[in-house]
Amino acid sequence: MRTVLLASVRVHTRRYVAAVVAVVVGVGFIVATGGLAAAARAGLLDDLRAEYTGVDVVVQGAYREREVDRVRSAVHDLGGTAVVNAEWRGPVALDGRVLSDEADAGTVALDPELRWQQLAAGTYPTGPGQALVDAHAAEQFGVRIGDRLRVGRGPDAVQVRVTGSTETSSGPLGSPLYLTYPDLRRAGEVVVVDNVAIDCDDCAGTPVDALREVLPERYLVQPATAYLQMMQTEATQGVDVISLVLLVFAAIAFFVSALVIANTFSILLAQRARDFALLRCVGATRRQVLRSVRTEALVVGVGSASLGVAAGVGLGHGLAAVAGLVWPGLPLGAVSFPLAWVGGGWLTGLLVTVGAGLLPARRATRVSPLAALRPADVGGVRTRTGWVRLAGGAVLLLIGGALLVLAMSSHQLAVMLAGGMVSYLGVLAWGPLLFPALVRLVGQVVRRLGVPGALATGNALRNPRRTAATAGSLLVGVTLVSGLLVGVATARGTVTTAMNEEYPVDAALTAPVTPGSNASLSAGTVREVRATDGVAQAQALPGTTLALRLPAAGKGVGAGTGAGTGAGPMLSGRQPVLGVEPATLRRLVHGRPDFVRPRADTLFLPWEVMAGYGLDIGAEVVLGRGPDARTLTVAGAEGFGNTGLVARDTLRALTAGAGVSTRAVWVRAAAGADAADLRGALSTVAAGAGAELSGGLENRAFVDLQLDVLTGATLALLAIGVVIALIGIGNTLGLSVLERGREHALLRALGLTRRQLRVTLAAESALLAVVAGLLGVALGTGYAWIGVRTMMVDVIEDTQLVLPGGQLLAVVGAAAVAGLLACILPARKAARVTPAQGLTAE
Amino acid sequence: MTSHTSQPSHTSQSSHHNPKPPAARARALTKTYGTGPTAVDALAGVDLDVAAGRFTAIMGPSGSGKSTLMHCLAGLDTPSSGSVTVAGVELSSLGDTGLTRFRRDHIGFVFQSFNLLPMLTARQNIALPAELAGRRTDSDWFGTVVDVLGIGDRLEHRPSELSGGQQQRVAVARGLVARPTILFADEPTGNLDSHSSAEVLGFLRRSVRDLGQTVVMVTHDADAAAYADHTVVIEDGRVATERQVA
Repeated sequence: MRTVLLASVRVHTRRYVAAVVAVVVGVGFIVATGGLAAAARAGLLDDLRAEYTGVDVVVQGAYREREVDRVRSAVHDLGGTAVVNAEWRGPVALDGRVLSDEADAGTVALDPELRWQQLAAGTYPTGPGQALVDAHAAEQFGVRIGDRLRVGRGPDAVQVRVTGSTETSSGPLGSPLYLTYPDLRRAGEVVVVDNVAIDCDDCAGTPVDALREVLPERYLVQPATAYLQMMQTEATQGVDVISLVLLVFAAIAFFVSALVIANTFSILLAQRARDFALLRCVGATRRQVLRSVRTEALVVGVGSASLGVAAGVGLGHGLAAVAGLVWPGLPLGAVSFPLAWVGGGWLTGLLVTVGAGLLPARRATRVSPLAALRPADVGGVRTRTGWVRLAGGAVLLLIGGALLVLAMSSHQLAVMLAGGMVSYLGVLAWGPLLFPALVRLVGQVVRRLGVPGALATGNALRNPRRTAATAGSLLVGVTLVSGLLVGVATARGTVTTAMNEEYPVDAALTAPVTPGSNASLSAGTVREVRATDGVAQAQALPGTTLALRLPAAGKGVGAGTGAGTGAGPMLSGRQPVLGVEPATLRRLVHGRPDFVRPRADTLFLPWEVMAGYGLDIGAEVVLGRGPDARTLTVAGAEGFGNTGLVARDTLRALTAGAGVSTRAVWVRAAAGADAADLRGALSTVAAGAGAELSGGLENRAFVDLQLDVLTGATLALLAIGVVIALIGIGNTLGLSVLERGREHALLRALGLTRRQLRVTLAAESALLAVVAGLLGVALGTGYAWIGVRTMMVDVIEDTQLVLPGGQLLAVVGAAAVAGLLACILPARKAARVTPAQGLTAE
Repeated sequence: MTSHTSQPSHTSQSSHHNPKPPAARARALTKTYGTGPTAVDALAGVDLDVAAGRFTAIMGPSGSGKSTLMHCLAGLDTPSSGSVTVAGVELSSLGDTGLTRFRRDHIGFVFQSFNLLPMLTARQNIALPAELAGRRTDSDWFGTVVDVLGIGDRLEHRPSELSGGQQQRVAVARGLVARPTILFADEPTGNLDSHSSAEVLGFLRRSVRDLGQTVVMVTHDADAAAYADHTVVIEDGRVATERQVA
């Protein structure tokens, strides 16, 4: 049998190409992921270690300034030096231009032993008032050495001079900006102390014990090595989680691979049924034939899994190199390939290949010896869908459906995933009935192509099981892609609704309210806002500051309720109020908030302001003084600063025109405007005019970006499975072409032109792909609906399923195009056969 | 029907009572496979006229070149040298697409096996050539042919549901329905039992006698050749003998 085995592997190697490619892609993905994960881990750990090079002891648990000082003095007593590793977050401005509202800053030690930052240019700070910037952040924000930065808000802000730039560190202490600890404390805002790192080379005795002795027990005093060990475990866990997520996509790719491989084996072995029968005739037992076929699968598996490992190693190195060039700040260390990943990938590839070959091998070798003696079974092998298969499929569908229903009522993700997979397998089991039915339907359209169309439909229908397996492999990817698209569109819709409520205005410049003053925005400021890049629409709003009180008591609200929250203007009961008009704001705000068209007797107050007064929705308040005062009902809104809103007519009535001036400018950003840039530009204008800037532009952009990145990354990862499926379609078609050589020759003899033959194959391929596309979009939408019911309805009520029609149509279109691409090679091969060749070749 | 072993001669052409020009004419036809020392001459200079409206049998042992000759006459294969004229068209002047169109319009085929497309019904198989050519099938003629061949009740069956003889009759019907200039039959009875063979050969002869069809049959079976009006024997790529059946 060995001669037979070797000969058949040799002869059929080329026909296994698709199976091999499918395995290589899957194994390569796993190995490359392992390599990149190892590189990321190495990079993180390198940076982490670098940050604690000169450190001997780390103390955690001191958070407040007093606590930190206590640790420092203890260290000082021992004769060591300490640096406080802390994080700060707040606004950073350069020349009055706000670089970021939420910039991060870390600390830099003055002691060279404890100072871990690697200088890229300039010098290290020698004292307070000096700072280091990360080289990449400096480039991004246009900060140069020597620049003066304003760190912090208002009177607390600290002025620092940039003395140098540093290499990027991806360790936990890495930051875009480094200040000395005293400056960081002085800059106000939120300071989170991570730990106190201590250099104790010259300390007497064992510093760890000594410090444990002096400091309260709740402080965690560790040697730096122990601390690093702890941090390494944490960092590694983060990388591991990401690699596990990537393994999910590897699993999807392997599932598709298994379908493609099983199909390849089915077709190949069916084509060789006569060979097997002949072997049986000359004395091989069924077991011998079966073993030979299984060994063949093993050889293919070993070969392709090994190729996959090689490809993965190459890919890992290549990707790391490319990533290093494109994103120089990426924390990638040396690429290495852990044995577990390589071995696991190799073994998975092997098992999937051998496993996928088992069933086809059993089926194919069941052939009787007599089959060899019968005249060639010509083409039209119709497989009948077994009742067992259908019954099994029905059971799977029932179980899966039940699980999905359960998931929707119990909102459990795991149950939903299990139900999804089980029901999906049920759908695949019914494929041989489902796909031909769809092919017949879509075939009605294809038939318009004339004879090639009719032939293509006939070809796609002649072997339902093969059609089902081929289209089924593509179905996996299309279902997941459309499910993802529907899910993201729905999430986007829901998020947009929420965002519209929370951030109806992209940006609002509001004149500050100081007691006694009635500051307003000048026409120049309004013009400046209008002229800012990225502003689509800017609307000046008239307003004033009015007295606010409860109807019964004659006093101001704040004083009456004694609410201790808030300060200054709120407690005074003097409330800035803007007059709004629906006509000017309808296209400026997002969504359709009520506050755009207030009723004459309604006062919209920001929730925070309302809480500050101790008011609730529906409360009655008196706004204004004297004869113009009016009783209004309070309603809540937010996203436009701390002003109240009333209808413009109400404002006019309240003030009789006196004291009303431009108190705010509301801005709608142009589509596609860079949120951070616009925010920076507007904050510069606001700072110049002494106005406060609020609005949800950046949050909106951030959420959009996150959804986009999520969608893009997931699509890219799902693409692996889709590509494998396309190779499968091309392969099935290629193998069918081999089978149908005589048929094609006959057609050519009867008058089918080469072009028509190619069109026939193209139509068949596109037909399969479109059918998979349509079914996949339908299934994906269904699963997405279930997913939304399971995961989101709980969180946000009235979640509406959003169908991204254009995108879903594009999915079907892309499937068709991909199908056409997949048929190029087989079609060319088929058209090359001359009629005479095809008819005489036996 | 005349053959020319060496020089073209037109004397014997009028020997038969057939005033029509030949349906196909081959002159100095050669076909060589391979090159250099391994080259094989499948055809080594064949001159042949196929008389219109007659039943011609091309005989010869395996490897004699009879199938190659048929392929060249039918425009399925291109000769290495020499010319083939069918229905007044010089085939060597046609490209692949031209040849395909030509086959659609002028040539019908019946093969030994694998004659029908498995995914089409008998009726669809029969109508296929006309559909490929974008022509409407003449329904009267369709009816006549189907009646003559006795397959009227099998038209909606697929090939796998037909016996070998029935399949071959469907193939003959497909060849006849398009009314080709020449119907080529390549070992049409090779896979059939003697009863079905006799039936199919009888149909071929009837199509010549009753329907005026020109038929060329390639066979190595002398019994099958006995149904023909003319027999041409090919040996070693040349016309060895010709024989007319009265």
